[in-house]
Amino acid sequence: MSNEKKSIDFAPRTLGAGLVHKKDLILALLLIAFGSFMYYEAGKFPEAPLVLGDTLNAEVFPRMLVVLLIFLVAIVPFEFKITPEKIDKIDKDRGDETPLITWITIGVLLTIVALAEFLGSFLTMFVICLTIPLLWGEKRYVAVAIYAIIFPVCVYLLFNKVLGLYFNPGLLEMFK
Amino acid sequence: MEDVIRGFGLLLEFQNIALIFGGVLVGVLVGALPGLSSPMAIALLMPFTISLDPVASISMMAALYCAGTFGGSITAILINAPGAPPAVATALDGYQMAKNGEPGRALGLAAMASVIGGIIAIIIFLFATPLLAEIALKFGPVEYFGLSCFALSMLAAMSGKSSIRNLIAGTMGVLVSTIGVHLATGVERFDFGVEELTEGIKFVPVLIGLFAMSELLTQSKTLNAAVERMSAKALRLPTWAELKSLKGTILRSSGLGTFIGILPAEGSTVAAMMGYNEAKRWSKTPEKFGTGHAEGIVGPEAANNAAAGGAMVPTLALGIPGSGTTALILAALVMHGFRPGPYLITETPHLVYAIFGAMLFANFAFMGIGLAGARFFSYVTFIPKKFLWPSVFVFSLIGSYAYSSAIFDVWVMLISGIIGYFALRNGFSPAPFVMGLILGKMVEETFTQSMVIYDSQFLNFFESGVFIFFMILTVISLSTPFWGKIKQAISGKKSESVF
Repeated sequence: MSNEKKSIDFAPRTLGAGLVHKKDLILALLLIAFGSFMYYEAGKFPEAPLVLGDTLNAEVFPRMLVVLLIFLVAIVPFEFKITPEKIDKIDKDRGDETPLITWITIGVLLTIVALAEFLGSFLTMFVICLTIPLLWGEKRYVAVAIYAIIFPVCVYLLFNKVLGLYFNPGLLEMFK
Repeated sequence: MEDVIRGFGLLLEFQNIALIFGGVLVGVLVGALPGLSSPMAIALLMPFTISLDPVASISMMAALYCAGTFGGSITAILINAPGAPPAVATALDGYQMAKNGEPGRALGLAAMASVIGGIIAIIIFLFATPLLAEIALKFGPVEYFGLSCFALSMLAAMSGKSSIRNLIAGTMGVLVSTIGVHLATGVERFDFGVEELTEGIKFVPVLIGLFAMSELLTQSKTLNAAVERMSAKALRLPTWAELKSLKGTILRSSGLGTFIGILPAEGSTVAAMMGYNEAKRWSKTPEKFGTGHAEGIVGPEAANNAAAGGAMVPTLALGIPGSGTTALILAALVMHGFRPGPYLITETPHLVYAIFGAMLFANFAFMGIGLAGARFFSYVTFIPKKFLWPSVFVFSLIGSYAYSSAIFDVWVMLISGIIGYFALRNGFSPAPFVMGLILGKMVEETFTQSMVIYDSQFLNFFESGVFIFFMILTVISLSTPFWGKIKQAISGKKSESVF
């Protein structure tokens, strides 16, 4: 078992004579950049009235957190040296590129949410139930059509008629 | 006693029984479906409970939590695909037993062990919660600050791919909780000119995004994965003799599970793994583990359900979540206007006893549901992902919008989901982030109050013995993940890693 663990080969994934994990270094740099931005932004907060003292300034706590964050993040590129078996598992998960279908799904979801107010609740549900199964390669078109109509109707009846939730009519208002 | 009767009395109303039963049904269902989970279901349900009776809503969520933990074992046993992380250990022997031609027996053992583990934990919960709350009532801000630091440090020991990443996610959660108006000074922080951000980031859309949307994106990669299912016509409960031979394992795992559940941040997954390991360690036939051994099923099952009950103790008594799912229940308590922590039991004791009753009911209900519907629940895994996940998206959309009828919240949900997906790929779990987000306000408030009390001298915090105690626990929990390495170093064995 121990031999198996020793056989983990990090060579192609590391930099600097095998001391730094490549992907984790990029991840750490991104997080440090985010932390630095937050630290800088916190510096722009107005000062608290003198009566409250220095430590009660609004930026104190977020800045403490950012410092802690950067300290923890700084360990990440070297984590594979501390717990190699755990990083190996993470590397397995992120080994493959994010598939095209996931990127397209993200794009479709963003588009649907951008259009949600214009379409209205019911049509948005209809579009979701129609486009996502088709996008994901569903070939039973009749089933998709039935699902795209029946499911939003059921949701509408349950949430609007039974639970009294407001559904924005959106585009459907034009047909009233 | 009056409060106990009042709490239980609330559960006897038809609407409340229906909600709790619905919670159990949804819990078993989402537990059984790989990818869906009880935290996700609670996050999705939360906004719809705003208009419902708060006690019934929270009780329903507690029942869902219990049932979801058991539900995961159905698919773990029948298709070797644990519906929920706590059932991973159950799959080791459960699936083997099913393969050996005894799926009904495996399900029966899992159900019985879950019920016993759950009931033991609930009894401990009934007595421990008021006791712990009484102690916590004596805490001042500095003690609470120490306690919340300890709770956050437990993220290091929480199940996940990496302790450091859990801590980073927790810190990020606390940082995100600082968005909005700073209560002490009235200063708007990190709002970047966006009006909606001045109120801070709302829990519900973030929770839905992290638990539901990130999983949807993960599932988009595995749309055509085929599963092999064992056919189980019915669940077969263990005989009295069999139960007697397993009582040691069940009781030990129940105690262990409850204890792990009570520890802040630790949840059912760690409990199940430890339950399995301990069952093997104490077993007279450890070599049979992994081949469909009964002890390998009851050990983790009793432990993971006991942990669910145990996790409610710090959640209700201290306002510190005992697990990722109870963090969501804590958020629901806040959403419904309750004050989690020691005042919950002094101000609204009937709620605590109603939750206790709901969990007790859930334990019997899921066994009944399991007995009657094991076959049905094994079929739910056949629901095509291409239809299931668009439905989850619809619920996510409505859930995040319903919370305050603002499209901004839908964006928060979606962006949280996308960030959560990439974070998951890089080893960051959503649960530590959620813990940080929920505990964040408490950490900052107690820190600020303590600084005022101690005249801005942090070192003076150590004048409090309780604070020192929590700091010692914090150091211990931060070092827990490395104990194995330290032990290895001390025993002189060569470690494969540098640490």
